[in-house]
Amino acid sequence: MKIKAVPEKAAGSQPTRWAGLVTQENLITSFVGLMVAAAVFLPLLALIVGSFRVLDVLGFGSEWGLDNYREMARVSIIRAAFLNTFVISTGATILATLVGVSLAWLNARTNCPWRENLELLNLIPYFLSPFVGAIAWHNLASPQVGLLNNLARWLFGTTGHILDVDNIWGVIWVTAIFHAPLVYLFVVGSLRRMDPSLEDSARTTGAGLLRTTLTVTLPLVAPAILSGMIITFVTSSGEFGVPFKLGAPYGYPTFTTQIFTYAVGDDANYQMGAAMSMTLGIITALLVWVQRRIILPREYTTVTGKGFRPNIIDLGSWKWAALGYNLGYLFIAVLLPLGALFLVSLHKVWQGYLIPSQMTFANYERILFFWRPESIQPATNGIGNSFILAFSGATIAMILAIAMSYMIHRTKGFGSTMLDFLCVIPIGFPGIVLAMGVLIVYIQTPIYGTLWILLLAYITRFFPYGQRNTSSILLAISEELDQSSRMSGASWLTTLRRITIPLLKPGIFAGWVLLFIVFLRELPISIILYTAGTETLSVGIYYLQEFENESLTSTLGVIQSLALLICVYIFRRLAGREALTA
Amino acid sequence: MNPLENSAAPYLEVQNLVKTFGDDRAVDNISFGVPQGGFVTLLGPSGCGKTTTLMCIAGLHKLDAGEIRVGGTLYTSAARHVFLPPEQRDIGMVFQSYAIWPHMTVAENVAYPLEMRKVGRAEIDERVNQVLRLVGLGDMADKLATQLSGGQQQRAALARAIVSRPRLLLFDEPLSNLDLKLREQMRIELKRIQQEVGITSVYVTHDQSEALVMSDEIIVMSKGRIEQRGGPRDIYARPVNRYVSNFIGVANMLDGVVVRVTAPGRGEFEVTHGNARVLLPCRLGEGLGEGSSAVLSVRPEDVRATREDGGNPGFAGEVLQTIFLGNCLDCRVLWGTFEWKVLAHPRTWLRRGERVFLRLDPERSLAMKP
Repeated sequence: MKIKAVPEKAAGSQPTRWAGLVTQENLITSFVGLMVAAAVFLPLLALIVGSFRVLDVLGFGSEWGLDNYREMARVSIIRAAFLNTFVISTGATILATLVGVSLAWLNARTNCPWRENLELLNLIPYFLSPFVGAIAWHNLASPQVGLLNNLARWLFGTTGHILDVDNIWGVIWVTAIFHAPLVYLFVVGSLRRMDPSLEDSARTTGAGLLRTTLTVTLPLVAPAILSGMIITFVTSSGEFGVPFKLGAPYGYPTFTTQIFTYAVGDDANYQMGAAMSMTLGIITALLVWVQRRIILPREYTTVTGKGFRPNIIDLGSWKWAALGYNLGYLFIAVLLPLGALFLVSLHKVWQGYLIPSQMTFANYERILFFWRPESIQPATNGIGNSFILAFSGATIAMILAIAMSYMIHRTKGFGSTMLDFLCVIPIGFPGIVLAMGVLIVYIQTPIYGTLWILLLAYITRFFPYGQRNTSSILLAISEELDQSSRMSGASWLTTLRRITIPLLKPGIFAGWVLLFIVFLRELPISIILYTAGTETLSVGIYYLQEFENESLTSTLGVIQSLALLICVYIFRRLAGREALTA
Repeated sequence: MNPLENSAAPYLEVQNLVKTFGDDRAVDNISFGVPQGGFVTLLGPSGCGKTTTLMCIAGLHKLDAGEIRVGGTLYTSAARHVFLPPEQRDIGMVFQSYAIWPHMTVAENVAYPLEMRKVGRAEIDERVNQVLRLVGLGDMADKLATQLSGGQQQRAALARAIVSRPRLLLFDEPLSNLDLKLREQMRIELKRIQQEVGITSVYVTHDQSEALVMSDEIIVMSKGRIEQRGGPRDIYARPVNRYVSNFIGVANMLDGVVVRVTAPGRGEFEVTHGNARVLLPCRLGEGLGEGSSAVLSVRPEDVRATREDGGNPGFAGEVLQTIFLGNCLDCRVLWGTFEWKVLAHPRTWLRRGERVFLRLDPERSLAMKP
């Protein structure tokens, strides 16, 4: 038998202690690890340091001190912003939970008609831009020009207005309907994965349907509901677009809109911005920590790999009411706002009511045909830039995600725990907080004013979304598949290329499209870091609503929403529901 | 290489291997060798360090101390900072989960090690076909791995491990995921194929009957150490201690004292159980002399239970339970406070509550250190 000779130098030479550490695997993984660590920690470090530097009166220099934090407690508008943020996040969380849990239960556990199709539709609001949603609801229900108010005046002859979203309740309303799918996602999986024998055994002891639901089903999904609520609270308090459109202009500033005013404009005060960002960031990070370390481990219905067929409750003729309820949600969250945007976008100037004779696609021409002289550059730039950022950002982030999940799940010891931690940190900090840190770190460097700084911030904030997709698959496939490739004579890199990555493909595609969607609608990071020429889609919308009119704003909103809907469709074809849970 | 030299030194040499996970010494200073073409089984319960040892040989774990050599080449040495990466060790391995790659066909799976060795396409095709026929998957080449049954995946994994004719074959509990019938069939087949290709093999299992059927030599491990090594018959007949005796097969274990040494390696053993007390002639294990307390181990099939007095009236008991197993009768006989396990011939007709006499063969009663 021919035996391939193993190089004898292995036996002869006497390498040093460290030579064994220089392998393909160690070099590449430690390089990626260091890069990600730098990207994540530098902005946070800058925020901590910056928040303790106090700007002097003339605004030229700064010195160490706690005055920023004292100022925060003193200035009444910041106190108001703090209170508003708390009220909005709490209100939105409660409303989103009521809607999300009820929809999840109807979809997972009842014979509500048309469930299979509602599933996809219920998730759509989660992928749309809440900022555009706020603009749409402003068009629908602002006191003077709101479409619904005008409709009521015309139909019922009411005077004044019946609906008003230009206040804190409007912010809660819009935030809640766009975040309900988040709670839905957390709960529906848990309801589906539940072992039906848990409920069956309750029924056999004599407990009725209602009693079983209240004493067995609900407690079992309680951790999932709580998880969804915490994440919704965190996301709502970091939400920028909705309060920026419906709150701040009408006297309801929030933490995020205040950070924005400190980050841009002539009176910019990065040190104050840093102090506010730190305060918000610490609160959200703490909540995410609680969710991950305390609530997640208490989930009773984790994936067991067993295919359960959950108990389906027959609603009788009530099932039509259930269907109506679900369709009602979709009408309010998707159809009504997108329809209003579309109608507004058809008018050259929006006056609050439809003028069929004046409907035109001229607005679309001004925004899409960028080579024409009358085109609006910030808007047309935004479309191009966003697609560039989304494409390259999703690609780079997925490469990092693969490397990170590999290191977390395929290497052992202290390093992998650290990296796991590294992947959670960005989730704990709202985009606008991270952007503030990125701004302070990089404003003096050449990447400021280019797309690179946006790309860097996008990836740093969102690569954990991709990492979750690849990690869940990596966890499910046996490490022996990699090991048997090494034993077959393949190097680490060859194993990655021939075995690991092909097996991860579904997760990689799903993660890529998810990131593409997130980047295409991103607002809070972009609005802090953009400069003339590097506008993004959402910044373009911001520009139009600040400097142009409602019609043009709605037009770009429709374009963005359509692009997102197409991506959602592709995503849905590629990935399951589980891949989405943030 | 001179074949005589070859047979003198073991082909696989594991010396003073230590592997720790944190404070846990998973493998605690073990050494053994395997001659070329030999089949050695590491046997023990989960957590005894057998798989860790295998992983160290494969290069999938780094060891903390010790050396591993294959065919005279140093593969790894903690003291000399030598570590050959797994892909350069020329070892074939069959994993517990088979680890057949689901995104490739059976033929692609099996061809992979040859591709890595830069073998030409034509030769790859020929060797893949040859080895697939050898393992009985000749007509499965183009099936996707996911379309195979457990037993077929097992065969494919074996084919992939031997196709490159590696220096060493490692098996990590390869049969534990199969059902009983298939497992028994695959034992024989695995052994046949290994003998046919003649590759030196190390096999890890917790299943004692698997170890008995397949191995030239068995190494019984416990808590990271070697308890005993030897041929299957040897280990079964002469376990060195209570642990090995218990692990390999079933045994009656009685605590007592060696009262007399009658001849070298022979003696008399006194057992007391409740009111019952008996003097039994037996073989003595190593290190036992007059007055040493010891454990007597007797296999259930080496105990005779008869209705007639066998000339030793003190050694009588009462039948507690009989279980008919088809090829034998499993009885429990109460003697004093001790419950004997006795395997009797299936046509023996013993009834519950009956008084029986037990007789032991001194040659098959072994006193060993407790």
